Amino acid sequence: MDVIMPQLGETVVEGVVTRWYKKVGDVVKADELLFDVETDKVSTEIPAPASGVVAEILVEEGATAKVGSRLAVIRESAAGAVAAQSAGTTAAAPQSAPKQAAPIAPAAAGERPARQAGNRLSPVVRRLIAEHRLNPADIRGTGRDGRITREDVTGHIERGGARGPAGTVRTEPSAVYAVGGATRKPLNAVRKRTRDHMLKSWTTAPHVLQAVEVDFMKVEQARQAAGAAWKAREGFTLTYLPFIACAVSAALAKFPLLNASLDGDDLVLHPRINIGIAVDLNFEGLVVPVVKDVPGKSLPQLAREINDLAQRARSNRLKPDDMTGGTYTLSNSGVFGTLITAPIINQPQVAILSTDGVRKKPVVIEGPQGDSIAIRPVGVLAQTFDHRAIDGAYSAAFLREVTTLIETRDWTQELQGQY
Amino acid sequence: MAELTYRDAVAAGIAQEMARDENVVFLGEDVADAGGVFKATVGLLEKFGPRRVRDCPISEQAILGAAMGAAMTGLKPIAEIMFSDFLAVCWDIVANEIAKTRYMTNGQIALPLVIRTANGAGSRFGAQHSQAVENWAMAVPGLKVVAPAFPADVKGLLAAAVRDPNPVLFFEQKSLYSMKGEVPDGEYVDQLGKANVLRRGKDCTIVALALMVHRALDAAAILEKEHGISCTVVDVRSLVPLDTQTILSEVSKTGRLVTVEENPRLCGWGAEVASIVADECFWDLDGPILRITTPHVPLPSADLLEDNTIPSVARIVREIRGKIE
Amino acid sequence: MTTKRKKSPAAEIDIGRETRLELYRLQLELRYCEKRAYDLFLQNLVKGTSHLSLGQEAIAAGFGVAMRPDDWTFCTYRGHAHTLARGASMEGVLGELMGRQCGLLGGKGGSMHLTDVTKGAMGSYAIIGAPLPVAAGAAWSAQYRGTGQVAVCFFGDGTANIGAFHEALNFSAVWKLPVVYVCENNLYMEYTPISAVTAVEHPAADRASAYGLPSIVVDGNDADAVYKIASAALAKARAGGGPSLIEAMTYRHSGHSRADPGKYRPEGELEKWLLRDPVVTYRERLLTLGFNEPTLKDMEAEAMGKVDRATGIARASPVPSIDDIEKNVWADGGSAWRN
Repeated sequence: MDVIMPQLGETVVEGVVTRWYKKVGDVVKADELLFDVETDKVSTEIPAPASGVVAEILVEEGATAKVGSRLAVIRESAAGAVAAQSAGTTAAAPQSAPKQAAPIAPAAAGERPARQAGNRLSPVVRRLIAEHRLNPADIRGTGRDGRITREDVTGHIERGGARGPAGTVRTEPSAVYAVGGATRKPLNAVRKRTRDHMLKSWTTAPHVLQAVEVDFMKVEQARQAAGAAWKAREGFTLTYLPFIACAVSAALAKFPLLNASLDGDDLVLHPRINIGIAVDLNFEGLVVPVVKDVPGKSLPQLAREINDLAQRARSNRLKPDDMTGGTYTLSNSGVFGTLITAPIINQPQVAILSTDGVRKKPVVIEGPQGDSIAIRPVGVLAQTFDHRAIDGAYSAAFLREVTTLIETRDWTQELQGQY
Repeated sequence: MAELTYRDAVAAGIAQEMARDENVVFLGEDVADAGGVFKATVGLLEKFGPRRVRDCPISEQAILGAAMGAAMTGLKPIAEIMFSDFLAVCWDIVANEIAKTRYMTNGQIALPLVIRTANGAGSRFGAQHSQAVENWAMAVPGLKVVAPAFPADVKGLLAAAVRDPNPVLFFEQKSLYSMKGEVPDGEYVDQLGKANVLRRGKDCTIVALALMVHRALDAAAILEKEHGISCTVVDVRSLVPLDTQTILSEVSKTGRLVTVEENPRLCGWGAEVASIVADECFWDLDGPILRITTPHVPLPSADLLEDNTIPSVARIVREIRGKIE
Repeated sequence: MTTKRKKSPAAEIDIGRETRLELYRLQLELRYCEKRAYDLFLQNLVKGTSHLSLGQEAIAAGFGVAMRPDDWTFCTYRGHAHTLARGASMEGVLGELMGRQCGLLGGKGGSMHLTDVTKGAMGSYAIIGAPLPVAAGAAWSAQYRGTGQVAVCFFGDGTANIGAFHEALNFSAVWKLPVVYVCENNLYMEYTPISAVTAVEHPAADRASAYGLPSIVVDGNDADAVYKIASAALAKARAGGGPSLIEAMTYRHSGHSRADPGKYRPEGELEKWLLRDPVVTYRERLLTLGFNEPTLKDMEAEAMGKVDRATGIARASPVPSIDDIEKNVWADGGSAWRN
């Protein structure tokens, strides 16, 4: 049985095999750890898909392989070995010349129009071609009438046919001015992916920053009320983040254009509100695990889930599922006491919110008897939005809604939600 | 495990439930003394007595109406309608009353009853005694619909149907009554709403029901051996509730859906499955959906004609070869 | 064609003072509540269609008083009175007609399906004939469990010509089920005189012999007569004597349903029957029997007050939630047909 590079995340096209737990000749059991793979988002442990003996390892530690390509072969039985051999032979064969997709020629008199099956791409073939950015003209169709079948596409991918993202920026190797004695630190896989993602986001989406100053008094009251009892019971400190996530998800329900993605001429509004939480990995990189269906969760549930994701992110125990499906992102620089941050949008989303430092400040409180000064915990929430999709007024109205929710919701009551 | 015929599994299932619960009763035409015209209920009168196993006049409306009245007042009736075609005679009670009463009374009235009936063709009984009408029942909200293919499923699903607090229509395929199969001993209860994957292949997923399951399995064997086409076969078993997850999962693996339905073409149960797959599995489909059904005609009676009307193994093989690469 | 009618055992039943008051009270409530339903319809608060039983109260009341609380009632779409007669709340009935949350069915069933299982009102059935075999089934359940409960099934004259009537009567007679079938013969099958479409004079009573049952006809506008006949039939059923088929002669004051102004009735017929208005004639009887005017007036005021209070409750009740649409198809409260 072939061991193939798994699909780890919607936009991931390749990964690096960072470690093999078995070598050729080792016995392996199904579901036993077989190798580690690192992609632009996450490092994941992959179990063996079957029991048997590791017959071949085709990709070495440190090498990159495309999603769907063969990484190793497990010999399960005599039949398994035969399958592995024939697959190996196919891989070695030279790629045949791509079958030309027949052009729509004008029909000669009396001839049926040229609507051959070879022209038609089935739904799954279309999807795979789109996902892997293939050119159908490059793929040989072995189906009836020369149709490209699903197997034709997956086979093409496995043989290394998938090219990288179209229009990869080719830059001249820049002459970097290095001061004598400088050290070269190679960028790791996560860093490289972040580099590419940030550049792409920055150069495709016109980013606009908008910020509000929020009074966190009610949140702080709820946190105090929960107090040490929470920490003792749950094992972690209750931070501002779950409250903010809760308020943001409620506001997104009223401002759905911010919970969306641009696709050509369409703004695709996502039915679910899945919020990604950026987690810094000890200054080594950034991952954004996703809390799914935030509106349906109680505040305590949210707090637990966010904490769990952060813990697992830091200990490299995130699953591919944790990384997908995000529709909006929260970036939390506040732990470091920042004033304001203009985060870069997490593609293919259209907005991202930075939660900056909360500190006590004097604020003016308007009352029936006149104005007075009070000391309140105040912090900035800064949203960057994609101006192709959203305008300032909409973003501002959303931020006002978030502010109102944070400042007026009965958070103490919400914390008492089901345990 | 014991080897039982499909018909004996019916009696075994009823007996198991009647022994377990005093409130389970059984009524129908010729079901008690005669043990049923298909001999599917032999021995029940002897075992449980005339108070619990009752013969009725030829009065389908009264039989099902009485089942409904008894179910709403504490009993758990199993009612037999001898031929599923006769459901048309008492369709008011099934579709207007039994299916809708809980809903209309906002949950006040409970109807824990089972209507079991002999369904389908293959026995040369002609157009009014051979129809497969489980799709009629599927189309009415408020009815659960089950159609087992194997003796084990007969016993297990009948038990599950009796224990289900909702009305269940249990369609036995009359041409399967003599078929033998392994049936678990002792108390055996299966689950409504769960399809079984009987065979896995990589070229297409055949979804079939009741008699058509057997024909699909035979066709799949021939397709593999002689034509290199490997098929997954899913036995739907339950139309309502429908195990869409299993169907979608198996179709996404092969990329092709084939349904094999005994219903006449229009609005056969497979049309709904095809519609769900076309919607929720669209991006995994590698080709058009193929429905193999009885043509849209009443059923002829002569051997040769009937055999060439409902889907035969040969026709299933031929149609799949024609459409699936 | 007439048939020989045996002297009814009902004749032996005596009616006490309390029972009489109960019969009057119930008829008043049924009358006033039904009239209120009509008024609410004119105010466009009751939508759809309603089949009023104005003029037929004596039947519902007679049986309502005679039945045991654990007996069951099955009736037709003309079922407001029968449901109220078992003790269902007026606000439940009026609320259901107005499609409100306080309605007996939460707005899910409407006028034609009034049900209150806590009071033994096991449904109003909109399809002609359907409740008869269902009542037989309930009776079978009582017989099976030996509880002595009886099912009473009310239906109209038109029902006696439909298949389910014949199936149910035969079935009940053969199994000797404790069920009482009551045909409310109001002389019209929807818009057509019943005599024009029936092969015999008494659509139910003249068919009783086909099922081995005695032919029983009663004045359906005389609550005492209905009460006596009902008590006898119930007693027979409880004692294991099997089913009864009773034809109660009556007349409906309004048309078949909302949409029907009843213009097909011959001139003078309605007026003639209004002279035999069951509530009015019962009142007169009570006075001649020595009940005094103030007592009756108090009862009338009390009944009207009850209707007024119920109307207030029903009008104040909110409309159902849209979420209810997908509820209660199945026993688990939901409507899921797939996973």
